[in-house]
Amino acid sequence: MFVPLSYNLRSLFVRKSATLLTVLGIGATVAIVSGVVALIMGFRTMFTAGGRDDVAVFLRPGANSEGDSQFSRDRGLKLIKSVPEIAEGPQGPLASMEAYLAVLLSPERGGLTNVPLRGVQTPTFEIRKGELAIIEGENFRPGSDELIVGQRLVGHIQGCHLGGVITLNKTPFRVVGVFEHEGQFGGEIWGDLDRLLAAMGRYGPNRVIAQLAPGTEIGAPDPTQVMFSDDPPQPKEGTMAARLLTDTEVPAKVYSETQFLASQTVMLTGLLGFLAVALGLIMGLAAIFTATNTMLSALAARTHEIGILLAMGFRPIPIFLSFMFEALVLGLIGGLAGSVMALPFNGVRAGTMNFQTFTEMAFSFRVTPLVLGIAISFAMMLGLLGGAWPAWRAARLKPTIALRQG
Amino acid sequence: MMASFKLVWRNLTRRPLRSVLTVASIVVAVFLICSLRTLITTIRAGVENADSRRLAVMSATGLFVEMPMKYQAEINKIPGVELTTKFQWFGGYYRSQKNFFAQFAIDPDTMFAMYPECQVPPEQIEAFRTNRTSCLIGEVLAQKFDWKPGDTIPIIGALHPHPDDKAWEFQVAGVYHSSVPNFDNQTMFFHWDYYEETLKESGPMPGVGVFSIRVDKGADVPRVIADVEEAFQDSEQRVDCVTEAEFQRQFVTMFGNIPLFVGWIGSGVVLAILLACINTMLMSMREQTAEIGVLKSLGFTDGSMFGLLLVQALVLCGLGGGLGILFAWATSGPVAEQLGAMFPGYRIHPETYGLAVIITVGIGLVAGLVPAWSARSLRCVQALRGTD
Repeated sequence: MFVPLSYNLRSLFVRKSATLLTVLGIGATVAIVSGVVALIMGFRTMFTAGGRDDVAVFLRPGANSEGDSQFSRDRGLKLIKSVPEIAEGPQGPLASMEAYLAVLLSPERGGLTNVPLRGVQTPTFEIRKGELAIIEGENFRPGSDELIVGQRLVGHIQGCHLGGVITLNKTPFRVVGVFEHEGQFGGEIWGDLDRLLAAMGRYGPNRVIAQLAPGTEIGAPDPTQVMFSDDPPQPKEGTMAARLLTDTEVPAKVYSETQFLASQTVMLTGLLGFLAVALGLIMGLAAIFTATNTMLSALAARTHEIGILLAMGFRPIPIFLSFMFEALVLGLIGGLAGSVMALPFNGVRAGTMNFQTFTEMAFSFRVTPLVLGIAISFAMMLGLLGGAWPAWRAARLKPTIALRQG
Repeated sequence: MMASFKLVWRNLTRRPLRSVLTVASIVVAVFLICSLRTLITTIRAGVENADSRRLAVMSATGLFVEMPMKYQAEINKIPGVELTTKFQWFGGYYRSQKNFFAQFAIDPDTMFAMYPECQVPPEQIEAFRTNRTSCLIGEVLAQKFDWKPGDTIPIIGALHPHPDDKAWEFQVAGVYHSSVPNFDNQTMFFHWDYYEETLKESGPMPGVGVFSIRVDKGADVPRVIADVEEAFQDSEQRVDCVTEAEFQRQFVTMFGNIPLFVGWIGSGVVLAILLACINTMLMSMREQTAEIGVLKSLGFTDGSMFGLLLVQALVLCGLGGGLGILFAWATSGPVAEQLGAMFPGYRIHPETYGLAVIITVGIGLVAGLVPAWSARSLRCVQALRGTD
């Protein structure tokens, strides 16, 4: 026979102050951990949204980011011509050379920051048809000193608005449009490849992107493993990744865009993940201690009642479960309180440095249902761990001794 | 007086497990607060320790845009400039990217004069000067990879690939030690000439990432800055000239609002621990109710009962705070090693320990106040009746 659950719910209510303090303590812990997880979510969405498996990214072998990679203009063109897997569009191959550079601009808050600048060619817009939209003004005209800016920069970086002027080295560029992109491009400035190369005194693009014909297998190894292993895995034999890596004319490292984006986020995701786990463990430990204290004092106050329950014929296991249930409810309420505390963070803007390219990235906290789910399960786990020892003690009480107390 | 201390101690050890758990949570919290604050002070250390006579010159377009080498001669002509040296970020890695550390191509003739904090035994400097393909490594690097003078290190040039498509090779000539917290102990410095001559064969003339300037003693720094920027107004690359503090500050601002979030986390930790302590103190107050009644009927004043409870809270928090500080201090070495790549020079400041003391005493006072006040206002008859 089980102890009625209402018994536990009432006893939580009777001991209001202890319950409230424990719930708030667990809540604060959970709110912080879910805040960090929400930051990871926002960061990953920002970076990997729009990552596509049918778009290939070509980098120079040995390069790990767009900043590292470099092709001369001729070699970029040669590369596009020599890869038969690239899909054909209305105006030739769906491939574009892109230049990528961090430029020093002034944020509205003052100081200086590095903002990513991307020079692109017309096919880029054909490839990005479904994901990128001009929401204000118009696109830049090819060959002109015009720019379009990602919506996330508007109001954040000086000059990044319709009609603004951004001077790159010595050439003034006019902002003619604002575009929206859910992924990383939404925090970038785009312009014509050749005009930007000329203005910055650079001699070639950094990478080539291309849409692949349906069914093409790239065959690239997991880039995270390539980056972090002393013995990096090689591309699959007979695929385009293996062929291009050893190409005699223009050797290149190929990834799918999804793979490439994952490789660019791995460091910060790892750092934030480490922070979340470390905080969760350390603060969780403190929260477990609090929960144990609360449940121990609940036990002390109710020793007499437990004696009665035992005398009435309740077995130790139902008593153990009864206390565990009480601890679980304590954790659950704590989790809900923590979620309520974490919710206001949703949408709060965060900006930090991308350690791979030293550019500033703007993204937002995202308190998703997954984050809340993690928060509540974490809180319930804290409650259970905190309740285990007191529940064990309660179950081991001797009825005669327990009855004599209180 | 002694008797009341004994009473405090007896009350705290009445439920040893509860006191131990509370003290343990405070230890954990204090450790966390010390570590989090140190992350922020570490990020800012560069700004605070900057040398006011040193300036940095970089391309006005961005840190990754190179300036022509000939700029150095132009800068040297500007009145007030005592010394200049050049740096180029190499951006390579040893075997795989997880072993990331910074490498710079430098000019040995001016570099050591510019940065006296970079300390190398004289015979190692000499060995470095005379071997064109040699390098100097920071003592942390030497320790981490077990590199010794005479070893050859292969570095894959991710940003500057070797023209023969192989790894660059550097012989370790010496190990430097930095005497200040903002000069990183895990960087590799190698010869500019080796860098320039290797790359010149295959591509365009390599450029300079950053020029460092030291101004004359008592020079008018704002004027020198203005003169440097003016000098290249019409050249192929415009430049930004900033003080060393400002240069470091740019890296700090790049961390964005991460320091702010770390502050929020710290406040959350303090809040959670405060609640836990209040909880503990309320519980023990409830258990002591009858005794307080007895003590009061024996003639102990309201004030001494107030003190009894408050001192219990303070002792509990003091114990936790002290152990927490001890723990943070004892683990700072291994923590610094773990975080070294991201936060070079991780070191807990004395002020951080001071902050931890203030926080724990504050928590003790706040947590003790409510039960202490109710102990003070408790009436004997009520208390003696036993139940709360």
